[in-house]
Amino acid sequence: MKRSLVSLLAVCAFAFSVGLLRADETCSSPYLARIDGQEEFVYVWTLGVEGLGDGNDKLVTIDVKPGSPNYGKVVSTTSVDGRNEAHHAGFTDDRHQLWLAGLDTSRIFIFDVYSDPAKPKFVKTIDKFAETTGGAMGPHGAYPLPGRMLIPCLSNAKDKGGKTALVEYSNDGNYIATHWLPTKDDAGGAANADLADGYGYDARVLPRKNALLTSSFTGWNNYMRNLGELMGDSEAMKHFGSTMVMWDFHTRQPKKIFQVPGAPLEIRWAWDPKHNYAFTASALTSKLWLVYADDKGEWQAKDVAPIGEAKGGVLPVDISLSADDKTLFVASFLDGKCRVFDVSDPQKPKQIYEKQIGKQVNMVSQSWDGKRLYLTSSLLAKWDKAGADNEQFLRAYAWDGKELKPQFDLDFTALKLGRAHQMLFGSSKLGPNRVVASN
Amino acid sequence: MRATLRAVSLAFAFVVASAIGTARETFSRDADHDYDAPTPGSYRLPVIKVAPDGAVLDSNGKGERLRDVFRGRVTVLSFIYTRCAAPKACPYATGVLSQLHRASLEDTELAKNLRLVSLSFDPEYDTPQRLATYAEGVNGESAGCEWRFATTKSHGELDSILKGYDQAVDRRSNPNDPQGPLYHILRVFLIDREGRIRNIYSSGTLDPRLVIADVKTLLLETTKLSKQ
Repeated sequence: MKRSLVSLLAVCAFAFSVGLLRADETCSSPYLARIDGQEEFVYVWTLGVEGLGDGNDKLVTIDVKPGSPNYGKVVSTTSVDGRNEAHHAGFTDDRHQLWLAGLDTSRIFIFDVYSDPAKPKFVKTIDKFAETTGGAMGPHGAYPLPGRMLIPCLSNAKDKGGKTALVEYSNDGNYIATHWLPTKDDAGGAANADLADGYGYDARVLPRKNALLTSSFTGWNNYMRNLGELMGDSEAMKHFGSTMVMWDFHTRQPKKIFQVPGAPLEIRWAWDPKHNYAFTASALTSKLWLVYADDKGEWQAKDVAPIGEAKGGVLPVDISLSADDKTLFVASFLDGKCRVFDVSDPQKPKQIYEKQIGKQVNMVSQSWDGKRLYLTSSLLAKWDKAGADNEQFLRAYAWDGKELKPQFDLDFTALKLGRAHQMLFGSSKLGPNRVVASN
Repeated sequence: MRATLRAVSLAFAFVVASAIGTARETFSRDADHDYDAPTPGSYRLPVIKVAPDGAVLDSNGKGERLRDVFRGRVTVLSFIYTRCAAPKACPYATGVLSQLHRASLEDTELAKNLRLVSLSFDPEYDTPQRLATYAEGVNGESAGCEWRFATTKSHGELDSILKGYDQAVDRRSNPNDPQGPLYHILRVFLIDREGRIRNIYSSGTLDPRLVIADVKTLLLETTKLSKQ
């Protein structure tokens, strides 16, 4: 009798895992409630442009329901207060709220996306971030953990350089803790302390290994400066991150520092329960890096493939790993291309396709079933290209395993919206999180 | 009718008990939790917020306040409903609480200082009587740490508690869904002796080794303070 009940539970677990075959984005936190079925909306956190529309940063909602009369159209926009250098964003783990971070003003705008996913409603702003967190500034995004948000930052209020921290807030917006990235003087007991630079960018968790991995970029002094000027300033160009840090996730203590030169940015952990590795791309050196557990279970980092010709001006900025861990999409800002790599062997990625997306491209988001990709154009207000090269768009594509086929194209300048930055998927149908679904 | 309800309750409790029976008997690493647990006291658990209060009913139907329930011990609070059959949701959470309870049978520090609370968010079905039956099914031990089962008198009282704990609960579109009629985010809370939330667990972090390390970290904190 007991055995038959155990079998019943196993059947239930299998039925649960079948849900994995449905669509959702692949770059989200494993703690995030998943979308049940295909995404219905794409939310775009958009930088305001002076003289364009109301000039403010805004949350733009696009209907992507197949068959909808509004498919590919903007169905709502909600402006926030002023221009804040809108950058990344994240849902709370229950997917009820969307937190939108501003890199310049260090303000975080919280929206309710649950009551009416087609029309997100502004709830409140988290202000006085630097004062509250003990000096962290430049909240880069918001990464859902159980009941709380992990906010990796880029800078600090003291010198506005790259020394920075991970900050935690509860889902209801109460400050919890600040964890400073390891430095040579205070490496927190991490191995390879001599490499520590204190810089931060992304933060991602692999729950079954209790692993938190962070990457590194640059501080306010650099990211708020004109890119052309910055690249001509050899001293300023020295102030970019060249490390990644593996943390004990539960204790939030740094364990090992890796040398990853050239600003390693987005981190994508593999999804398969036996794949103990993550990819990142180093922006300035234009390489794919792999952080992986070796045969002894030790975490290591190594570069595994070039991304185009770095000297030609590539600047890979965002990456998206497919749910089956076989395909990696890489968006490169300077050449405006999306490259596709076969990463079935993570140690030996092979480029299999590339497509010119626009004059500039930044973010790439993929549906869970890998059939739809969405790309946006803006990197940073002062880093975006000028004149005719300053295209601002959301472009949607279908991916059939061989090529990207255009689906719709929204011109954010013609629509008087602004600079299109990060995308997140919304839906009225939610299910369990990925940790549940993967078991 | 009443006999039928009792049979259904026992059946669900038996499913949970079966899940517990298949869970790890010893707290070692496994494929889902492939890491070593930290040493208690080697890390900090920052205060998240004061644990919200609310009116509940114990499994005897007696009314009490959550703030009184939490008093004096470190509490592990799990939101559940007994009709849940999603293997990685309530049955898993109750299974982990059962493991914690079993650990307390052999650990006097836990037996004296830990309290487990399973609080239902399905008051229409999970009456005190049904919870008592459920409790009988999942915890037959009288020794070890406290393990209380509670529900609420009505949705009015429940809703303010769920809001306070940011515990999302929705009805599934199919009320006959084999996983149960409610969809919810798995949330388990660690509450210190002063009634403050110090950790929030969900799938992936609800590892009995981590919870015990956290409980003992809070107990060491209390010890350190009392020595100052």
